[in-house]
Amino acid sequence: MQALLSFAQSPPLDAPFRFFLTAPLFAILAGMLMLWGGPDLFASRWTPAALALTHLISVGFMLQVMLGAMIQILPVFAGANLLRPRLVVPVVHATIALGALLLVAGFLSQQAPAFWLAVLLLGSGLALFIGAAGHALHHVPATNPTINGLKLALPGLSVTVGLGILLAVGLDGAFALPLLQLTSLHLVWGFVGWGVVLLAAVAFVVVPMFQLTPPYPAWFARCFAWLVLALLCCWTVTARWPGPSSLLAGAVVLSVAAFAVHTLQLQRCSKRARFDATQHCWRLAMLCTLAACAVWFTGVRGPSLTARQEWLCGVLALFGGFMSVMIGMLYKIVPFLVWLHLQNLGGVHFLAPNMNKVISAPQIRYQMQAHFLALALLLAAVVWPRWFAYPAGLAILIANLWLLRNLLAAVGFYRQQGQKIAAMLPATPATASR
Amino acid sequence: MRAITEFMANHHRCCDGLLVAVEQAVVSGAWERARTEFARFQDAMRHHFTAEESLLFPLFEQSTGMYRGPTQVMRGEHGQMRQLLAGVASALDARDGEDYAGSVETLLIMMQQHNIKEENVLYPMCDQHLADQVDALLPGLQSQIAGEERVPT
Repeated sequence: MQALLSFAQSPPLDAPFRFFLTAPLFAILAGMLMLWGGPDLFASRWTPAALALTHLISVGFMLQVMLGAMIQILPVFAGANLLRPRLVVPVVHATIALGALLLVAGFLSQQAPAFWLAVLLLGSGLALFIGAAGHALHHVPATNPTINGLKLALPGLSVTVGLGILLAVGLDGAFALPLLQLTSLHLVWGFVGWGVVLLAAVAFVVVPMFQLTPPYPAWFARCFAWLVLALLCCWTVTARWPGPSSLLAGAVVLSVAAFAVHTLQLQRCSKRARFDATQHCWRLAMLCTLAACAVWFTGVRGPSLTARQEWLCGVLALFGGFMSVMIGMLYKIVPFLVWLHLQNLGGVHFLAPNMNKVISAPQIRYQMQAHFLALALLLAAVVWPRWFAYPAGLAILIANLWLLRNLLAAVGFYRQQGQKIAAMLPATPATASR
Repeated sequence: MRAITEFMANHHRCCDGLLVAVEQAVVSGAWERARTEFARFQDAMRHHFTAEESLLFPLFEQSTGMYRGPTQVMRGEHGQMRQLLAGVASALDARDGEDYAGSVETLLIMMQQHNIKEENVLYPMCDQHLADQVDALLPGLQSQIAGEERVPT
């Protein structure tokens, strides 16, 4: 019954928007970092600048969008609302934003206090979010793959954060931790146990319903999150034995590839009359995910992945996969929420301007093309850093300034139309009472 | 025991199919056919709303005692979708492709997020609370969705 009670409460507009508007700022910083670091940044994925870049995108951009989206979709998909959102949401947002900045500062400066503060802020902010979301979902039965996926993504995030904290405190060598192994675990749990499990949970609903495709095969949707998590657990336990560990890692990568293939196949059956920006972003994201899986398989046939292969996998998964799908989703979620809140302000005798008027279609198209170009340049920079590192940094900077501009345009539209509605509303009861 | 969820969710998919026919007509520039297809879609949506508002929701409210909870939210969203349906109809009448695209996109997302809430939360609760009334309820829902019964006004 708790699910039904919270069903009636929609989160306030600023709850998801504060996360969505912060996300591009981190990607802008990533572009600036690439311009500052230049070709040397691509020497190895272990350079301080490369680690800072990775976390600007994963903890900065991705985590902001994922948490903002989760706050919005929990009531819709599961009838589950965070308790006290007006208190929890700003605290989670502030701690993870500041924590991400300090983490990046820690990588760049190699100063232990920055890492400690980052760990404190990110750990406490994410613990608060995981606790609040876990509490909201606790009484909701997992009646479908989406609710199940939302529930199972939380342990994935918890393991990622736990490993991240362990890495941060073990960086100075005080605890003699196996840092390389822990880094692999942290990375794969973050990408797959949290990222892909959450993305798939959302995709099982969003792809068929919004792109008008057939549903994912029932067996696949039902088993996916459980299978991936079971494989990850087995892989984690067997990390010390190369043979079983490689086999299990291969099975994890194959599962992710199967999700991408299913999604691409469904998209081919879309009955939508026009392929819009969101659908283009989903398609590119799934193609990049497949390409990342292919590079990984090509790499493991040798003794280990080369530095270029590691970079290619990372860029394809982070920038090509996660970032593309998130940009595409923002272009659906943000205009719709603006429309919905305007409509709620206006009441029954008012029809708000349709969502395509919130952000102009050409601006969305140009930004999407800028993102695609930035991705292509970044992939080129991985192979030929001397030629492409600066153009790629500049392109990422421009694409994300543009994204921020488009999101701010949506906020401006909401304010402008909201004022119009407010000016119109007081007149209505007065007129009626006369 | 998912009879209500399955029955109502199936009708959601039927409505999706009718909207696809409208979209395809608009893309091929067949505005008259689009209007005809839209009228079918609009009828199906109205019958669906009526079946819920006159039959399913009152039974749920009586059974749970929740008169101002989720069913009230769903009624409110039906009102918003009725407004959006009128907006799409005007765009089709004016043969305004841009206005149609924006209105139909808004309607589609509104409709689908509404369907998700019903299919994931409300219908399963109806299945749980109205289990002993399902045999009598489903034929009633069927005939209202088919437009065979009009609700007294």
